[in-house]
Amino acid sequence: MTAILLISSALFCAGVYGLLSQRHAVGVLIAIELMINAANLLLVGFGWRTGGAFGQSFALFTMAIAVAEVVVGLALILLMYRSRGDVQVDQATELAQ
Amino acid sequence: MNFHDLQPMALGVLLAAAAALVLLTDLFTKPSTKPNLGWLTFGLLSAVLVASFTLDLRGEVASHVWRGGAWPVFLARLFLVAGLITVLGGMDHIARKWTYRQGEFYTVLLLCLTGMVLLPGARDLVLLIVCFELMGIPLYILTAFAKTDSGPKPVEAALKLFLIGAGSTALTVFGAALLAGLAGTTDMSVLVSSTLSPLQGIGTMLLLAGLAFKIGVAPFHMWVPDTYEGAPTPVVAFLSVAPKVGGFATLVMVLWQALPRLIHVWGPVTLVLCALTLTVGNLGAIAQRNIKRLLAYSGVGQVGYVLLGLLSGREFGVAMMLFYLAAYVVTNLGVFLVAHAVAEAGDGETISSFDGLGRRSPWLAMSLLLFLLSLAGIPFVAGFWAKFFVFVAAWRAGQSEMVLVGALFATVALFYYLGVARAAYVNVSAKTEKIVVSRALAGAIIACLLAVVGLGAWPSPVVEAAMAAARSVSGIGP
Repeated sequence: MTAILLISSALFCAGVYGLLSQRHAVGVLIAIELMINAANLLLVGFGWRTGGAFGQSFALFTMAIAVAEVVVGLALILLMYRSRGDVQVDQATELAQ
Repeated sequence: MNFHDLQPMALGVLLAAAAALVLLTDLFTKPSTKPNLGWLTFGLLSAVLVASFTLDLRGEVASHVWRGGAWPVFLARLFLVAGLITVLGGMDHIARKWTYRQGEFYTVLLLCLTGMVLLPGARDLVLLIVCFELMGIPLYILTAFAKTDSGPKPVEAALKLFLIGAGSTALTVFGAALLAGLAGTTDMSVLVSSTLSPLQGIGTMLLLAGLAFKIGVAPFHMWVPDTYEGAPTPVVAFLSVAPKVGGFATLVMVLWQALPRLIHVWGPVTLVLCALTLTVGNLGAIAQRNIKRLLAYSGVGQVGYVLLGLLSGREFGVAMMLFYLAAYVVTNLGVFLVAHAVAEAGDGETISSFDGLGRRSPWLAMSLLLFLLSLAGIPFVAGFWAKFFVFVAAWRAGQSEMVLVGALFATVALFYYLGVARAAYVNVSAKTEKIVVSRALAGAIIACLLAVVGLGAWPSPVVEAAMAAARSVSGIGP
């Protein structure tokens, strides 16, 4: 159990690091996916340990949510590419001026 | 399980059906008659609002997973009112700008409302997160609805909302996974009945941080001004009220109902967040020149007061939080719609675009003044009672220093709210022509105005409804 906790926490922290350090919009999206998958790993691990279906079923719902989010996110990134010609998040500074 | 078992969550089912109906009608509508889709949505939302008064919505669905009663019904009415006013106020803008995509707009809005209406009844972490996302994902789409028609700003606004929103979802899900995993169940009422462990504290913090991002609590508020500035104004009007109500409903359920035993963990943190939110929101608003950015910071400040009500806790604090949210919904919608009316007339979105409004359109200027006074908490409009009741709740809970902080920043807020009013009444402008407001938009502004004045003159029915709603949430009682 400790191993699962450690691995998923490490994955989650890698995701948080990516979220904060990535400058490419797709990179940020991948980092977010990493964080959600860390949560899924945790859920499946806990579910395997305690028995019952709650971990697996929760993980399935989380996966569906993540997919819905990525669909909208990729569409937004595509729109950004069309309007600016690049998808570097740190160069999107039209607002707040 | 048959269809009849779903009766407690009938409002959500009806809204989902309405979304499907609007989408289908859109397929068979010629572009010239598409503006009627707005009225169709308006009618369907009104019907659901009427249903909230006539149907029996008590009871549970699927044993413990969803629970009806006064709490979800009160919040559902708030969401429906916000939806109705948004549709009415935005209808003409939507018909003119996005003629061919109106059906999609209303469908997505109705789906978002479905998530919101189902959210407060969820008694299971999985359902709670699914409803929260059903509320959140349509909002990304609505924010980006202008696509690239006015430069890269709307897309940037939507992308910022999306990246923050998706990141905070990841935080929330990881926190929820920790809590559910440690408890061995996703039932929120037994989430923390076992022995306490430090990991539960970490899970609570992650959950809290994820939710704080969504409702724009400082220091997680950096997306708010940018998104508000860039997104289409009718969408911002909706975004600035309804998801916040949803976020606070979730916070009440997660903090007070599921995790009351961890109050020593989340209590102090929320207190610090509350003080920080009041400070950042109110001080940040002073320097703003764009009306939407000013309202964004002022909204952050308002969230601080709602948090104060939430913190004061138990029945009375939560009830006063609900009343604050009700007053905030109608007031903030109103002020955004006035800004929308001025911007639609081609006068821009800076504060100086309100110059001379008092002479040009006395009615519009008077509504603006009343909304601003309500946001500032001046007697006797809705916002006064809202602030007063929240202060009473905080005082009773022994948070007297927070009452002082809140009152101090209410004075600061008066300064920037009256700055906008001064532009409308004192400053002179070269323009003298009257601002033309479409009939639907005028109707929406008048509805907000009546609600603000009505709540100010006669708050007791809503206060009583809020008390009943707070009482019906198990675990909040003394």
